[in-house]
Amino acid sequence: MNPAGLSFEQAPPFSVPLRFFLTAPWFLVLAAALMLWEGSGIFASRWLPATLALTHLLVLGFMAQVMLGALLQILPVAVGVTVPRPRLTAALIHIPLTLGTLTLAGAFLFSLPVGFAHAVGLLGLGFGVALIAFHLALWRAPVASGAVIALRCALGALLATVVLGLLLAGSLSWGWSLPVVAITDLHAVWGLAGWTTLLLAGVAYQVVPMFHITPPYPVGLTRRFAPLMTGVLAGWSAFILADWAMGVTVAGIALAIGLIVLAAATLSLLAQRRRKIGDPTLGYWRISMVSLLAGAAVWLLTRWIPALATSPQVELGLGILLIFGFAVAVINGMLYKIVPFLAWFHLQAQLLGRAKAPNIKQLLPDAPVRRQWWASLAALLLLLAAAAYPVVFTYPAALALGATGAWLGVNLLSVARIYQRYRLVV
Amino acid sequence: MNPNLPDIIVDGRGLEPPEPMERVLAALDAAQPGQRVRFLIHRQPYPLYDLLRRHHYLYETIAGTNGGFEILISTP
Repeated sequence: MNPAGLSFEQAPPFSVPLRFFLTAPWFLVLAAALMLWEGSGIFASRWLPATLALTHLLVLGFMAQVMLGALLQILPVAVGVTVPRPRLTAALIHIPLTLGTLTLAGAFLFSLPVGFAHAVGLLGLGFGVALIAFHLALWRAPVASGAVIALRCALGALLATVVLGLLLAGSLSWGWSLPVVAITDLHAVWGLAGWTTLLLAGVAYQVVPMFHITPPYPVGLTRRFAPLMTGVLAGWSAFILADWAMGVTVAGIALAIGLIVLAAATLSLLAQRRRKIGDPTLGYWRISMVSLLAGAAVWLLTRWIPALATSPQVELGLGILLIFGFAVAVINGMLYKIVPFLAWFHLQAQLLGRAKAPNIKQLLPDAPVRRQWWASLAALLLLLAAAAYPVVFTYPAALALGATGAWLGVNLLSVARIYQRYRLVV
Repeated sequence: MNPNLPDIIVDGRGLEPPEPMERVLAALDAAQPGQRVRFLIHRQPYPLYDLLRRHHYLYETIAGTNGGFEILISTP
């Protein structure tokens, strides 16, 4: 175990994370197809069945898919703990998660109570296996570094998000009586400000200094950010359930400030890169962190101007900034680092001394990454425009979303193909 | 070690992963039998150690005063 670095002797087979990474982009294409099918009505409110289906294609189909796959890789390599039976565990997460996401989207679209029941079973199984495997591994981690602390908090937040989501799906399937609006808000905020933000923070502490040659994050930030955010989230949830408006406002402001601190720290580190040669994946970090800043600013505005908080356009805009701008963009950028790096490393390990492995730029050149970044930025801007003027921008936004998703999928597939070709040589 | 052959110096400081490792592996490929590779790097290259052990290279790490490391690698 090395707390400061990465050990590949512990790494699982490449196929374990790869199956998640190759599936995820096609959920962006599916989300785009849904937008094309539904038309501009999908941007009328965040509560419409089609809008909820779209949201879950993005957060489960793309985000959770990559995040869980990446954890199977990160835990052994960065934290030094092994996940038992990695191939079997990966299959038991990947298959139910993929089928469960499709089932849930279908259940929303066609208002099928039996669909929600099946989605509860499938997603409960996928997330259940993931939560048990990751919690068992993480609590055995020999060193509680800032990254380990953040990952533990992220998995705590994932547990909260999943339990709340299963309760909501249960209410739609079996008619349980629940305060649906409050629980939906809790589910969304635990998922985005908890699970997604804290996992990103834990990963960023390691990969931003390593891949972008920046100074490290301040130790005080890495050790305190995740526990403080988790504490504030717990307080905010308790105030919502107790219906204490003042407490909800204060905790909400504290959450937004936390997001601003993370985004500002990351942008400031990226500005201090020691290497001045352009790196196309930096652009994804910048879109992501600027979206996080903008999302936190919109959230703060809605605390001061309550009329904004209930505007469907503002709610949808906030969702687009946090889900597509913040999370999808940074995951997209990191996939371009992780997938070629793992392919290159596994090939090096197999070929060294026998044949020459390709270099990383042969596995994935910069040009397609740069071009897909422009498609990704266009999709973000068009989605935001569609939230404000759905009639004009829904179709262009859907086409841009589909294009960026398919492009990412093709780029990752090309790395996997080259990897296979070289493996066959051995 | 062959004292008649000069060490091959590979400077990976400030380069983005995996370029330092690409350069050091290329140097090991090019090294004559008995020739050593002296690798300068700004952080501990743990994945490289794994590869070196797997392929039976011998190596020694010296921590520099400026936060960098020097790794002296001998061919098997």
